[in-house]
Amino acid sequence: MKILYGLYSDPEKVQLAVDTLNAATSELKFNPRQIIIVSGEPHEGYDFAESHLTSLPYRWAVLGGAIGALSGYFLTTLTQKAYPIATGGMPIAPAWTDGIIIYELTMLGAILMTFIVLLRGARLPNFKGVITDPEVWAGKILVGVVDPPQDAQSVLEKCLLQAGATQVKQSSGAPGKLASKGT
Amino acid sequence: MSHKWGLVVDLDRCTGCEACVVACHAENNIPTVGKDQAAIGRTMQWIRVERTWEGDFPNPKVRFQPVLCQQCDAAPCEAVCPTYASYHTEEGLNGQAYNRCIGTRFCANACPYTVRSFNFYNPQWQKPLNLQLNPDVSVRSVGIMEKCTFCVQRIKSAEIQAEAEKRDLKDGEFTTACAQSCASKALVFGDLNDPHSEVSRLASSSRATKLLGELGTKPNVTYLERGAWQDANNG
Amino acid sequence: MQITAEQIEKDLLRPIFKTGRKYLVAVGLATSLVLAGMAAFGYQVYTGIGVWGINSPVFWAFDITNFVFWIGISHAGTLISAILRLTNATWRRPVTRCAEAITVFSLLIGGLIPLCHIGRPWLGYWMIPYPSQRGIWPNFRSPLEWDFFAIATYLIGSTTFLYLPAIPDFAAVRDAAKGLRKRIYSILSLGWQGTPRQWQRLEIAMHIMAIAIVPVAVSVHTIVSWDFAMTLIPMWHTTIFGPYFVVGAIFSGVAALILAMALLRRFLHLEEYLKPLHFNNLGKLLLTMSLLWFYCIFAEFLTTWYGNTPSEMAVFWENVRHNFAPLFWTMVVCNFVIPVPILAMKKLRTVTGTAIASCTIVIGMWIERFLIIVPALDHKFLPYSWGTYRPTLVEDILMASTFGFMTLLYLSFTKFVPMISVWEMKVGLQPRGGGILTTEAPGEKRHGLVLEGPLPTDVEE
Repeated sequence: MKILYGLYSDPEKVQLAVDTLNAATSELKFNPRQIIIVSGEPHEGYDFAESHLTSLPYRWAVLGGAIGALSGYFLTTLTQKAYPIATGGMPIAPAWTDGIIIYELTMLGAILMTFIVLLRGARLPNFKGVITDPEVWAGKILVGVVDPPQDAQSVLEKCLLQAGATQVKQSSGAPGKLASKGT
Repeated sequence: MSHKWGLVVDLDRCTGCEACVVACHAENNIPTVGKDQAAIGRTMQWIRVERTWEGDFPNPKVRFQPVLCQQCDAAPCEAVCPTYASYHTEEGLNGQAYNRCIGTRFCANACPYTVRSFNFYNPQWQKPLNLQLNPDVSVRSVGIMEKCTFCVQRIKSAEIQAEAEKRDLKDGEFTTACAQSCASKALVFGDLNDPHSEVSRLASSSRATKLLGELGTKPNVTYLERGAWQDANNG
Repeated sequence: MQITAEQIEKDLLRPIFKTGRKYLVAVGLATSLVLAGMAAFGYQVYTGIGVWGINSPVFWAFDITNFVFWIGISHAGTLISAILRLTNATWRRPVTRCAEAITVFSLLIGGLIPLCHIGRPWLGYWMIPYPSQRGIWPNFRSPLEWDFFAIATYLIGSTTFLYLPAIPDFAAVRDAAKGLRKRIYSILSLGWQGTPRQWQRLEIAMHIMAIAIVPVAVSVHTIVSWDFAMTLIPMWHTTIFGPYFVVGAIFSGVAALILAMALLRRFLHLEEYLKPLHFNNLGKLLLTMSLLWFYCIFAEFLTTWYGNTPSEMAVFWENVRHNFAPLFWTMVVCNFVIPVPILAMKKLRTVTGTAIASCTIVIGMWIERFLIIVPALDHKFLPYSWGTYRPTLVEDILMASTFGFMTLLYLSFTKFVPMISVWEMKVGLQPRGGGILTTEAPGEKRHGLVLEGPLPTDVEE
């Protein structure tokens, strides 16, 4: 996996670079999905930071809660009724006390589902080909193209620089290794 | 016919001799803890005789009240046990399954009568007491809660005997160790479901009362209040 | 001085790569306390739980006091951090990580205590519902079983809550480290890169977690209070215990958080990050909790006193006038008389001032837990079986070791994880508005941006 990228210190320039790259996709024959942005912090409010899918994780959390509640119900009520034990006239599987356990398992289900959905949505864990640059943690933002077409490299480089990149680098990190070599 | 075991304590008859306590220790393999442990509240007793004084010297009145597990129908100790070690038996007893007990001591805290004993150490018997353990009763180990069982081993053997002879249990056929040893017959044990049993007759007496009855634990131990004549005699 | 992203990175990752002598001494002390506790526990298991001072009728004492205390401390972190996240309070940023860490570790300790306190600790796993040949199924009517589920849920939830925002920081350490450390952090960071998609997903997940964890936190301490309130015992059987325990938990939790922050600030040199502002804000919260706590205990004791039932009054006088009166009034002084004036005066609500108030509150709240448990147990209904309680050396050591264990876990944590969320601090540096938003009126598009507020670095009050 090769990557050609520029480093930016200003999110507005990042936006410009992303727009430029997007506009050039058909001409330079690469997929918009090959464009990658990496930053050391979230940048709310910029177009490049939006991916327009916000409501789904909430629904998944509710679903997780429902699964948790259901398993809580099975765990408490059904098991107690399957092995009824003499309780001296006190109720077997009383709703009040079972409700407490069902409640806890509901919340547990929602929490675990949120975690799973985050991992799926953020494509984690991913140990192969982590794209990063030490400069990113010092506040720079990385915009690049993964596996750029050979003939388009110089044009892309120019594009990135024109958008205001402080530095343009190229790395050829083998899968599993961290890309960090500059050119 | 299902049984409902009950005990009546006649406070008029109790002399405070503590024979019931000794009998209970012998019958149920209850260890003695020694005076040092007893002094810090580690006494192991399934039945105790509470002594209280009314009035000051030179004219105090002494009251005795044997207190044992009340075998509540709505027992606060049962619901709180996380492992069903304290549970309700088919015959209405508060059972204690020693092997299930993990020793949370929650039952003892929840018991309003403080009648549960905990094995703080592995029990030891001074010689030759170690040779007279009752083979019908399991010996408990460290970390386990125990309490009065209404001599469940006697109940069971009587029931098995009656079943083998294909007859009903007779009232007075057997009794608990404490009731058996009570010289003044202050303790009477029997089947509350049998309307003709002595325990039923006494439990319906107008003197009948329950210990902390206002808590709603529905005890199966009934106390017969002291009559006014005793005060007159003592006074 | 204007702090830059680079500076933040350097300052906050420093403790991970550099270890001082004081740190090693502290770790040594904490470890020896933990070892002493393990030895005491081994002795207790070998000899029998009789080596404790518990007796009939005081079957619970130091053990459950510590349990309630540590579960209470755990309410500082996740709950406060979640509320601050939900309300988008920007000053929270340097506070959340060290708060959430307190939660996870004190929950671990609190959760261990019931296992150590039972008569047969080797059978503690019988609380877990799983089919086995023993034919034992846990009793779902028992408050201890509710505890098991509540604490397990809260522990899993708050660990996730701590872990999620730490993933990007692990990635930062990964890229700054070499060798084995790099490999460990590669795994911990799950291969985090920092694409917009990942950031967005992370923030949504944190939002959902914050919503979910608040009711869990409230339920946990309510259920702990129900260990007592579900019994018929005088002064235990009361409906106020649920809210009262939650208030007490947040109270002691905030105090513990302030103490931890003061120590971190001092020893990790985080003066630029944990500012007087944070202590001031948390101090105000602590003041509110102190007043609320006083309200709760006043309501509880007044109801008892006015009701005047003999069995409850026995416990009441035991607390207020007899055996436990010195402890009771120490508690009132520690929780109310000392901290309220300190926290109410702006001049005294400094780093030192709030730390002193927190110190007395932590002590006072420990006493409070003790006074909830022991006086009620030793004065149950039947006066003949009244008793008393005196802790033994074994219990003292075990109690000290819980503090040692907390210190050790917290110290180790500072070695592995930046104690202040690095990326969240950097978000605080971003200029207000900016980008496409400059064309819109503030507050119109995204709540996040507008509420980001001024840079945390130049905020003083």
